[in-house]
Amino acid sequence: MTTSLLVPLHVAYIRALGNSQDELSYHLSAHLRMNAVYWGLTALCIMDHKDALDRDEMVDFVMSCWDEEAGAFGAHTDHDAHLLSTLSAIQILLMQDALDRVDVDRVVKFILSLQQPSGIFAGDAFGETDTRFLYCAVSALSLLGRLHELDVEKIVAYIRHCRNFDGGFGAIAGAESHAAQVFVCVAALAILDRLEEIDQPTLCWWLSERQLPNGGLNGRPEKLEDVCYSFWVLSALSILGKLTWIDASKLEAFILSAQETESGGIADRPGDVPDVFHTLFGIAGLSLLGYPGLMDLDPVYCMPASIVENVGLRKGWKALQRRTS
Amino acid sequence: MDVPTEEEHLLYSQRPEWADVLPLEQYENITPLAPIFYTDEYKDATNYFRGIVKSEEMTPRVLELTEDIIRQNPGHYSAWQYRYKTLMALKCPLDDELKLMDELAVKHLKTYQVWHHRRLLVQQTRNPGPELEFIANSLQNDMKNYHTWSYRQWILAYFNDDELWSHELDFVESMLEADVRNNSAWHHRFFIAFQSGVRNGDQDRDAIVRRELAFVKERIAVAPNNASAWNYLRGILDHAKTPYSELQAFVKPYSLPQPPFGTPPEVVDLEDPLPSKEAQLPCVAAIEFMADIYEEAGSGDLMKATELWRSLANEHDTMRRRYWEYRIKEASKTIKI
Repeated sequence: MTTSLLVPLHVAYIRALGNSQDELSYHLSAHLRMNAVYWGLTALCIMDHKDALDRDEMVDFVMSCWDEEAGAFGAHTDHDAHLLSTLSAIQILLMQDALDRVDVDRVVKFILSLQQPSGIFAGDAFGETDTRFLYCAVSALSLLGRLHELDVEKIVAYIRHCRNFDGGFGAIAGAESHAAQVFVCVAALAILDRLEEIDQPTLCWWLSERQLPNGGLNGRPEKLEDVCYSFWVLSALSILGKLTWIDASKLEAFILSAQETESGGIADRPGDVPDVFHTLFGIAGLSLLGYPGLMDLDPVYCMPASIVENVGLRKGWKALQRRTS
Repeated sequence: MDVPTEEEHLLYSQRPEWADVLPLEQYENITPLAPIFYTDEYKDATNYFRGIVKSEEMTPRVLELTEDIIRQNPGHYSAWQYRYKTLMALKCPLDDELKLMDELAVKHLKTYQVWHHRRLLVQQTRNPGPELEFIANSLQNDMKNYHTWSYRQWILAYFNDDELWSHELDFVESMLEADVRNNSAWHHRFFIAFQSGVRNGDQDRDAIVRRELAFVKERIAVAPNNASAWNYLRGILDHAKTPYSELQAFVKPYSLPQPPFGTPPEVVDLEDPLPSKEAQLPCVAAIEFMADIYEEAGSGDLMKATELWRSLANEHDTMRRRYWEYRIKEASKTIKI
């Protein structure tokens, strides 16, 4: 039973993603690559090993994903621009102090062009809409210093429509409450300074109900625990100031037990194959829980807190106190 | 369209009928984090995809190529987009496309693109009936698939056809018969009953509320430790602006331990079904509910609420001890000395 975070192993795991022939997960595809780089880099930053990956190579990769026609970033070279990859690109460049490489005006234009009349955002020209994309738009514009160009009331009104009878939020108006969608709606409202739109007592109770007897968190009632909810649920609770409503030691033990102890990485649950997505969100959850030796994570932006503070975007969230041992 | 058999499967680079296309390699002269180790087939297919995108070709062979890519990687959203554009340009029979999608959906239920593509197609065919059947079948393999339920909701709302709506309650009931703890099905039921406007025959809103209360109570009686059912009950009461105290007679037995073996049964009350003999009692959600009733009543009853919260914190729901302590603290602020 692993009782500590195997930092050197996870650093090595993330570095090795560039070399390893065996670690190809079937869900790691070109359409996720930009996101994967962001997940890897953020995890390294929180473990205070940012320099484990070459900065210039990474910046070059990000810039190679620029879609000149659309004026934004795709997931990989020659992939069409998408909001998910555009946000990840901005986050990576900010963390690598290379945001000046971005043609901000064009990116802003791309983002704003994706807003639908109802207030929600599409992810790309294909038209799939989801509150995840709404969050990407709000977060990206905020990081670029162009939040004022947004029609805030329209967005807030749409999020209001996504509020369900159980206090949670879904992917689109009418959809079932789901912890990941709760995160994107809560974080978007936090950036827009409109947290009062949330029925906080009910939602925070619903979030605390995600914890299962094994200490892990699920995404909706009667579903299985998954390490990634350690971030979605925890960040929402942290933003709403109710992180203490989760049994921290039980969750911590659960996350630590999902580590792969030979070649590193964290999986969705103990015994499964790790991937960089769950590695980041497990580490992010541990950071919010005050795990010793980790850097502070900003739950609104899911980036190092110091970086968000430096650009003046810190909101009133509360993590658990960092333990010294 | 001639699709090669398994034995004959040649790379596009080996097929003479593709010789006029200039394949484009993916830019790969840096070592990125999280690279993709393509099979030769995938590399070959996507090289040719980049080629036809560049030349803006929209022909039947493009459909073959994009299908090939999608089968290997349903997450390749550019391939989906381009396929849709090509289908439109060629004015293809979309029912055939939907049949193909039926097959792909079975393997790739969790991919957003599969569902979004269907949405686009159905908006063109304007034939939603078969879609509901397809969704029902697809749910048999994965009863809580988020995309599938969301798509069903979209079909109903978009076409807003009374005939489509009319079978929906039966459908949800059958899903709950299969698994009374299916949160997606409960959510969908709330949508049908309360959030999709008023349809012919449903004008008596009070009757709808009564029907739903009876339904959820029966389900709670059979399996009380079911968070979705209790959330549903609260949802109905909140929606109808009914005080929780009106449910006290029903809820109370669930908040107590099972009566000792041999206790004579209470008078059967159809309005307030009792917990089944096999039910695990007391039920946490019921204790919580009773506490909410006492808290709402205030003054003397706040003591009762506090006792119940304490029992949750110390015994029945220790995982959420901090939450229950919060409730106790909040309530104590309102107690007048």
